[in-house]
Amino acid sequence: MIPLGLLSTGEHGEIVDIKITPSGGSCCEKSKCDCRIEDLGLRIGKTVQMLNNGSPVLLKVDESRIAVDRSMAMKILIKEAGR
Amino acid sequence: MNGQTVVKEQESPMKRGNLRPVEQRVVTIAVAGNPNAGKSTLINAIAGSRLHVGNWPGVTVEKKEASFDYQGTKIRLVDLPGTYSLSPYTQEEIIARDYLVEERPDLILNVVDATNLERNLYLTVQLMELGIPVVMALNIYDEAQAKGYRIDVAQMEKMLGIPVIPTSATKKTGLDQLLEVAVSGEKGQQVAAPHQLNYGEDIEAAAELIAGSLRNSHPGLLERYPTRWLLLKLVEGDAEVQKTTNLTDQSLLSEALYHLRRAHGEDLEAVLAEVRYSLATGLTREVLKKPELPRTEVTEKIDRIVLHRVFGIPIFLAAMWIMFKLTFDVSKPLADWISTMIAGPFKHWAEALLGLIHAPEWTVSLATDGIIAGTGNVLVFVPMIFAMMFFITFLEGSGYMARAAFVMDRAMHAIGLHGKSFIPMLLGFGCNVPAIYATRTLENPRDKALTALLVPLMSCGARLPVYVVFIGAFFPKNGGTVLWSLYVMGIVLAIVMGFIFKKTLFRGDAPMFIMELPPYRVPSLKSLMIHTWEKGKHFLVKAGTYVLAVSIMVWFLLNLPWGVEHKRDSYLGQVGAAVAPALSPLGFGSWEASSSLIAGLVAKEIVVGTMGEIYVKKAEEKKAEKPTFAQDLQTAGSGLVKALGESVNNVTSTFGVSSLSTAEDAEKLAERTPLREELKKQFTPLAAYAFITFVLLYMPCVVAAVAMVQEFGTWKWYGIAFGYQMVLAWSMALLVYQGGKLLGFGG
Repeated sequence: MIPLGLLSTGEHGEIVDIKITPSGGSCCEKSKCDCRIEDLGLRIGKTVQMLNNGSPVLLKVDESRIAVDRSMAMKILIKEAGR
Repeated sequence: MNGQTVVKEQESPMKRGNLRPVEQRVVTIAVAGNPNAGKSTLINAIAGSRLHVGNWPGVTVEKKEASFDYQGTKIRLVDLPGTYSLSPYTQEEIIARDYLVEERPDLILNVVDATNLERNLYLTVQLMELGIPVVMALNIYDEAQAKGYRIDVAQMEKMLGIPVIPTSATKKTGLDQLLEVAVSGEKGQQVAAPHQLNYGEDIEAAAELIAGSLRNSHPGLLERYPTRWLLLKLVEGDAEVQKTTNLTDQSLLSEALYHLRRAHGEDLEAVLAEVRYSLATGLTREVLKKPELPRTEVTEKIDRIVLHRVFGIPIFLAAMWIMFKLTFDVSKPLADWISTMIAGPFKHWAEALLGLIHAPEWTVSLATDGIIAGTGNVLVFVPMIFAMMFFITFLEGSGYMARAAFVMDRAMHAIGLHGKSFIPMLLGFGCNVPAIYATRTLENPRDKALTALLVPLMSCGARLPVYVVFIGAFFPKNGGTVLWSLYVMGIVLAIVMGFIFKKTLFRGDAPMFIMELPPYRVPSLKSLMIHTWEKGKHFLVKAGTYVLAVSIMVWFLLNLPWGVEHKRDSYLGQVGAAVAPALSPLGFGSWEASSSLIAGLVAKEIVVGTMGEIYVKKAEEKKAEKPTFAQDLQTAGSGLVKALGESVNNVTSTFGVSSLSTAEDAEKLAERTPLREELKKQFTPLAAYAFITFVLLYMPCVVAAVAMVQEFGTWKWYGIAFGYQMVLAWSMALLVYQGGKLLGFGG
């Protein structure tokens, strides 16, 4: 298990855990904070591809390209699946 | 929404034999879908110019509506904000959900991106819970086909129990079929309520338990809401729903949810989200066949260049530069033409007309200097606003706007903002007004407010005339450097203020940045035009009324009390004289200077006009004979032709070598005008610099104020902007003047 933020450009991985808590800066105002991230398709079990590892990082999930903060990408844990 | 059920009589066959007014059937259709699913293009293609853009009550999220007849049925389309889900976490989601639950439209038109089925179906599954008939527009179908996707539409209809119609909003296919299904529904009940998807034994059992006990304890409650939706929300533990239904008594629920919680843990919302998502995944797997070998998409190829670590920012800056230059090059000749028209022909015609009816002289002055000049203040903005809105719409529609935000994100973090805020700030150099409207693209209220507060520090085009007059009079030799120093001062202060606001008004972490980068698309011309027009019209109507009102007010202030001879004795002069002592530490404590600054409230370039009126009294009254009506008409016509020609010419020269004739500018700077000569007597160079510093920083003009109040629906942010900018302007001018004196630049 490694943080998603450590994948290099072009690598794939499967999301195994999302550790985004309200205290760690929230993507939305209310209590639950992984709401949008999950609604956008970043969910446990999904395979993601790192398209551009910079700041912010650019991910590909299914058919969408999603940009997230690096700090957020570091809180998403993945199982590496290679290139 | 019941207000429009009875529509005025239409030509229908029933009318002949029956004199009773015919009540027309009204079908209200709510359009829901993910952002970037092509929802607005679809709506534009269907409704076109019949679209009406307003706001959702109490918020600044756009609300689009259209009413039109289709085969004898009146269709009322209501566009819901684009959402990924119906949870109550973002403003858009709350609006969409409240509308659907409370207003109960007759039909939901669910726009789905066929190239991204799974995520779009997640919303579809939630829409189906509401028990309202759903029709799906399987949009962007042509692109999905081009990518080699094969979607089994019939299977999808069968599994969901809703009509599914492949559409392409850009190519306008499937739209008629869509409307036909939508209106046929009510007649023959073909569009029945969608299937109830099975959420798994334990969840269904828990929902049944809750339903059972609610029937006893709260009779009637289940009928007041979409039943299935209510039950599922109660299983989830949705706080909003618990509040509105008064079901804060948890014992009833916790009993029913006991088994679920034991099996899945406390967070039942996550459990339900998971169930819905796996339904979407399962559906997608059933109906979608992707080609074996995925091709590298065009979007990814472009992104590799545009988002490049090294080239990304230069490409972005170049794109901005082109947009900026095109906007001002195209609009400048037209704006100039409008202002000559206002100052020349229109004024003459009004004078002539009022002369014909022997109107008293003060009405002539009110009409020309107040009303016509005031209208002019608004009209000169029009070409620029429209040009800029056009380019912004283009950047948004093509998908590049999201990339710009991505590229600039890191740099903007320094002042507590995200990349998306960069665009409004940059636009601010042209005009603060479209810049403030452009904060609309920021979803987060915090980012939006902070950006709008900093935008007025970007030195806009209207301040330039003031700088030019003073630079011409006092710093003809190093005009360029002085001008540049003002722009830089604005930027540096924006960084400083951004930092201060981040630590005070907007404490706490910047919200996390998460954004979808849509695939690149060529926006359709029609949709570009509609959006540009809507944005521009908004400005014209609202800002127009306010600016006109303030212009007339200023006119009265300058011409009252009745028959005032000397401007010093007018109300404006008196107020100016009262304010003057506060400005004397800054080096310009005269009633003339402060009156001009007050008049600059309307628009900063008015400072120059007012100074001209006050300082250069009736110096050049002895003008030549007035041109005749025919001459005026001719100037107007040929002026317009010339302006249009220049606009077109400027577009081509943007990409050419020749641009911005610097020689002409230099000439302008060195010009000797009566106003400049007079200013030289009144100001020291240091006081002049302090004065233009003040002009740069003091309060946003009325138009910007209107934009701010309109965008935020409250005076709060304008109040803050007004306050901090006044303080900032005063202290910076003081620093310049007193500091300069100390350093020996003379006082």
